[in-house]
Amino acid sequence: MRREAPLPNRVLTALMLAAAVAWLALPSVSVAPNRIVPGTPFHAYEIVGWAGALAGCLPWLAMVALAWRPTPTRYRVALGLAVLLLAALPAWLAGAAALMIDPTTPQARLGVGAAVWLLLFLLGLVLIELRGRLALPRLAVWLLLAPVALVWWLASSHGLESLALVQEYRGRSDQFTAAVIQHLRLVAGAVGASLVLGAGLALAMRRHAGLERVGFGVLNFLQTIPSLALFGLLLAPLAWLAANVAWLNAMGVRGIGWAPAFLALLGYSLLPMVRNTFVALEGVSPQVLESARGMGMSRTQVFLQVRLPLALPVMIEGVRITTVQAIGLTAVAALIGAGGLGTFIFQGLGQAAMDLVLLGALPILAMALVADGLLGALARRLDPRQLPSAGQEATS
Amino acid sequence: MSESTFARCPAAWTLWRAPLIWCGLLLALAFGMAALEPLFRAVEPGSRQVIYPHAEFLTLLGRHLLVVGVAALLAVVIGVGAAVLVTRPAGRDFLPLLAQAASMGQTFPPVAVLALAVPVLGFGTWPIIVALLLYGLLPIVRNTLAGLQGIDPSVLEAARGMGMGGVPQLLQVELPLAAPVILAGIRTSVTINIATAALGATVGASNLGAPIISGIVNGNTAYVLQGAALIGLLALTVDSAFERCQRLLGRHGR
Repeated sequence: MRREAPLPNRVLTALMLAAAVAWLALPSVSVAPNRIVPGTPFHAYEIVGWAGALAGCLPWLAMVALAWRPTPTRYRVALGLAVLLLAALPAWLAGAAALMIDPTTPQARLGVGAAVWLLLFLLGLVLIELRGRLALPRLAVWLLLAPVALVWWLASSHGLESLALVQEYRGRSDQFTAAVIQHLRLVAGAVGASLVLGAGLALAMRRHAGLERVGFGVLNFLQTIPSLALFGLLLAPLAWLAANVAWLNAMGVRGIGWAPAFLALLGYSLLPMVRNTFVALEGVSPQVLESARGMGMSRTQVFLQVRLPLALPVMIEGVRITTVQAIGLTAVAALIGAGGLGTFIFQGLGQAAMDLVLLGALPILAMALVADGLLGALARRLDPRQLPSAGQEATS
Repeated sequence: MSESTFARCPAAWTLWRAPLIWCGLLLALAFGMAALEPLFRAVEPGSRQVIYPHAEFLTLLGRHLLVVGVAALLAVVIGVGAAVLVTRPAGRDFLPLLAQAASMGQTFPPVAVLALAVPVLGFGTWPIIVALLLYGLLPIVRNTLAGLQGIDPSVLEAARGMGMGGVPQLLQVELPLAAPVILAGIRTSVTINIATAALGATVGASNLGAPIISGIVNGNTAYVLQGAALIGLLALTVDSAFERCQRLLGRHGR
């Protein structure tokens, strides 16, 4: 029996001790009387007193206790506790708002403190660790996080109205929706166009070795140029074209705006797309192609029914990389007037309004994570090697 | 000194030609931007001032390099250190977490990381260095892990059989074998950081991004072109130098 007693999980222990320290030592919230004045930070003990603050340490210590002699059951309990804590944080913020903000000051706003950011980060790491220990599928984690997201969303209209981020959103909800749509449109346009162009280019490269060398050379070169510089370099020629070519001007092409943003995004998107499509098509095993031809398939059939399906997961992987990259680069494009969520980031930085920065940055982060998750799942789903039944059939 | 070395050793000249050409262009442009005034005058005929006036280009270049260099140095030390620690028996518990976190973190756009670092850390040079460091860690950690884990187990077995182990095995066997992959990670990290540092100009950093931002704000295309050309050349210089280093390492590895 003694031999089977599991060792303490040091990862969970370290993470949760850090969480307890962060809870006590860092400010939980900051309160500002209005938008302009910087907020005053408040620690947990300043909000609910030392007794309350120490009681707030209990969940983190309970997690440490669960990690002391870990079993699958205890890991499941810890997972439940972590999800509960993630959902409890908005309640804590709402409680702090009720205690610290005078209801007669409607201009007052609550900022999220370093402790809460750090706790969110640490709980995210706990989820990653527990997911690995329990060998949970990705979908299970998403399903667990959906109610948490719902709680945060509900809290934003019930109890967290004074949260500065919520107030920034309230002030420009129409602009926000328009920015999200513009952001998605630029990303979708660049990824869609690079998918078509990239596939064509990859197919042409397979025919002509010279084109392959030159093409990859040019695309690698483009990828090296920093985004801000590429946007800037496109500005002058496009402004000239807009001034001298009437139909381009009529289309809305300007030195500033969506045109340089779209061209630069397309340039950056082509490399991962072409590389993955090229590698995917070249990577199909010659034996498979040989046997397909042996079965009497025509060239077109071999390409459409064998090569393309086998190459698809790697191509989707290219789409995933391109999309995540484009979501981030589109934020930079706001600097040259392309719109999108980056507008809020740069406006906020200019006005030193940090919650406006968050209003731009958090959705970008969420979009990148969701795009990564969805396209990654699609690539895994399409990968024939991942299907156990197919593998078994092949061997038996 | 370099001229004579290259005269005696044509291979070195061939190898380092591209980075040296880019570097030469970069320095020539940084020193002699004023000589191109007629050209910029033609681009921006309406403006009184066509050469970015607020700082010397060489100073901007130096600041840019300093921020990226400090961040890269710290990222290499911390990133390689962390990856080495979690691949030792004592730290192995943390390996899955670090590997997952590093690959997930790379999903975050660098702009978002920079933007989120400012509310937490404030404006100025240090917050930018910290943001670059945090983001730059990820490719280095990821590649160091891949490099260390990709070593053939029989090689490690042989090293242990020769009485190595612990630090000598790490320094003489594991790190040299993983070096090409680690270097690729550093290259990715530095390339991204040169681009992200330029964005630091929007949060008040005075570096090569500053002429671009100033040009966009004031509608002066000439400033934009000056900043963009210098950043582009800097990125190409550094990237091609890394490429040569990788080639050298690969040659020694074989």
